Amino acid sequence: MDVFIELFGLPKEIIKSERISLPLTGGMVVRDAFSYLKNRYPAVPLEQAPFLVTVNSEIASMDSLLKAGDTVCFLPHIGGG
Amino acid sequence: MKVIKQFEYKPADVVGGYTDRILRVDMGTREIKIQQLPADFKTKYTGGRGYAIKLIWDETRAETRYDSPENILIMANGPLGNEPGFPGTGKFIAGTISPLTDTFIDSNVGGHFGPLLKLAGFDALAISGKSDEDLILIIDADAGSVSLTAVDKDSQPDEGALSFGEKLLKEAGKGIFSDNLAAVVAGEGAVNARFGILNSLYYDRRRNRIRSKQAGRGGTGTVMRAKGLSGVVVKSSRPKANGNNAIDKNLVREAGTKLKDTINKYDPVQLNLEAWGTTGLSEYMNKFHILPINNYQYGQSPAAPGIFAGVFLDKYFSKKMPDGCYYGCNLACAKGVENFVLQGGPRAGKTVSVDGPEYETVGAVTNMGIFDPQFVLEYNWYCDEYSLDTISTGVVIGFFMECFERGYLSTEDTGYELRFGNIESVEKILREIVHGRGFGKIAGQGIARGKKWVAQKYAARTGVSEESVLLEINKFAMEAKGLEFSMYVTKESLAQQGGYGFSLKGPQHDEAWLIFIDQVHKELPTFELKASALKWFPLIRTWFNATGLCKLPWIDVRNPEAAKTSEPAKNIPSLAYYVDYLNGTTGSKKTLQDVLDDSERLQLLQKLINLRQGKGTRSSDQIPWRAVGPVYMNEYHARTEYYEEWLKQNLKGAALPPTDEERHKLLMKKRLEAFSELCDHVYARKGYNSEAVPRRETVKKFDLLDEQADRLLSRFGE
Repeated sequence: MDVFIELFGLPKEIIKSERISLPLTGGMVVRDAFSYLKNRYPAVPLEQAPFLVTVNSEIASMDSLLKAGDTVCFLPHIGGG
Repeated sequence: MKVIKQFEYKPADVVGGYTDRILRVDMGTREIKIQQLPADFKTKYTGGRGYAIKLIWDETRAETRYDSPENILIMANGPLGNEPGFPGTGKFIAGTISPLTDTFIDSNVGGHFGPLLKLAGFDALAISGKSDEDLILIIDADAGSVSLTAVDKDSQPDEGALSFGEKLLKEAGKGIFSDNLAAVVAGEGAVNARFGILNSLYYDRRRNRIRSKQAGRGGTGTVMRAKGLSGVVVKSSRPKANGNNAIDKNLVREAGTKLKDTINKYDPVQLNLEAWGTTGLSEYMNKFHILPINNYQYGQSPAAPGIFAGVFLDKYFSKKMPDGCYYGCNLACAKGVENFVLQGGPRAGKTVSVDGPEYETVGAVTNMGIFDPQFVLEYNWYCDEYSLDTISTGVVIGFFMECFERGYLSTEDTGYELRFGNIESVEKILREIVHGRGFGKIAGQGIARGKKWVAQKYAARTGVSEESVLLEINKFAMEAKGLEFSMYVTKESLAQQGGYGFSLKGPQHDEAWLIFIDQVHKELPTFELKASALKWFPLIRTWFNATGLCKLPWIDVRNPEAAKTSEPAKNIPSLAYYVDYLNGTTGSKKTLQDVLDDSERLQLLQKLINLRQGKGTRSSDQIPWRAVGPVYMNEYHARTEYYEEWLKQNLKGAALPPTDEERHKLLMKKRLEAFSELCDHVYARKGYNSEAVPRRETVKKFDLLDEQADRLLSRFGE
């Protein structure tokens, strides 16, 4: 039973992968997935700028509860050209 | 070069960002003169787009078309352009009556031309009249002359705009490229298509080559060539540092430092535009079903990773190169490719430099069903060289591809199979558009005109009425007001449907790009919030176009301080730097609200032009069905889950119809109703009546009720 983190932009370039999986634990929230990513890939500069969280393409928060198969994204803000 | 007409002048000094002079050139009479602006002109019309709107309002008529002698092509920078101490100050706008929309269009473009025009002593260049022979305009501030010259027989713009411009710049520099020189040129595509562009050429010292940026939208290049003007060269050796002669240099320096620091610190960990340029957007657009594919039928494709930023960065972009299109811009998003060998088209085998691609060009290619990065770069280069808008070209071809695949066009009409994903047929139609031959002659007229031709042909072939054919193909004809859509699929964002529908120039995203804050962030859940954003964002974005500034350093680098504000998407902390920069440059004491008010005046005046030109009422704001939702079942089935969920929410507990076909029908009904309701909210918020006509008191409030406005409003019952 896993959850997934889908990667874009710089994190994808650093990790060299479009998606990583992590085992789901009881009561796991987005913040736990974020800590996992940060600890495993310290070079990923996630905390240095504001970002947006989605779970299964829907806006979410760091406290959103995760379930098996969920896909989490940490996205930059995009304002358009 | 043979001089046809020469005019001598003493370049005016720039004071507080302005010269208060417009260079007027009549191509018909060859008259060259300087228009001295009254003191209150800049106060009321700001600069850039504002100046262009005012000239078009005063000096053209309802009957004026793009090729009328009285049409004016205005190129103008703005008071805040030309400051290496502040990021993104190389923009100028080209404004005119568009060949596509028959109303005012402005298209902004980077490079050195705008700043150098100002350093040559002019806030704007306004070209009217028509010449029966192709001429070049040379503004040489160092020599104190403005000349109209003949085009050399051995250097013709129709052989390729980029090489033509390079030759002009080399000749003007007496054999040496210089950053004191810049040019604007348009090639053969701009003669034969309504969506011809202006290439803005400048010398990049670091790359040691001439680079180009494009004023792409609305056919400004077509207007230039219709006037018999092939190129404009501007030269000034005046120092660029403090070129605006700012009133409060310290305030300018402080504001510039703050914005540069924000960019330095946060762009690399956000969109990383400095490394990827705007191609970085493709993967996010694909993720959220926004990347246009096969004429906007879909917003996502498994083939899309083939054209993501990483591909261009790894295989093509020249790396670690500072790429600001003007000095001092550390966002530096103007990516480029050197030593690129063309594999297709008439110049196959030639090694060229490509400036781009931007996200919009990538989206134009996916819209034709192609996911080949080599082709993206080739398409980019050929469109620039021929002087065609990559956006309109990709949307036009995508539309005709769908007409072909759905049987509305046959090989008898086109001469060949025109199917999604077929690079060979795209190369063929591109050449035909450029030369005005074969089916390309029809395609070069744009979708608004081309769809009528399709309806006629199909009606003649099948006996079906022309009106009913047009009614059907209108649903996927991706234009509004005559302009082709830019590269965002709006089916899942009502706010962006409005962003395109209410855009005064037609569906181009630079007036309102709300798709992410609406569709992804879900920050605009109500009609009121959508309407509020659809008023606010076009105002601030118009101000950027009026002042000579690029928007990206503001809108695409989120200042962390914005999170502490009530509306983070507005990025107000960074905007505060811009207001300081304005006040430091011009000596004004404006607030952000003053800036928005200045901009509202310009928006209103542009709205009045639209009204006069027949593009200003509610009917002109309507967008094709495909911009609102899925036209056909293949589109519906690509997002069934999303559409059913949307329908459930909007039915408020009522049961869904039993079949997919019935659900689809109901979905479209509800979505069209929602767009109509949005119109009501937005018009009320903007001070318009329900037919989108500005109320008399609104026009009066901004001191725009002149005789022409008075007559116009009376005609529309206001």
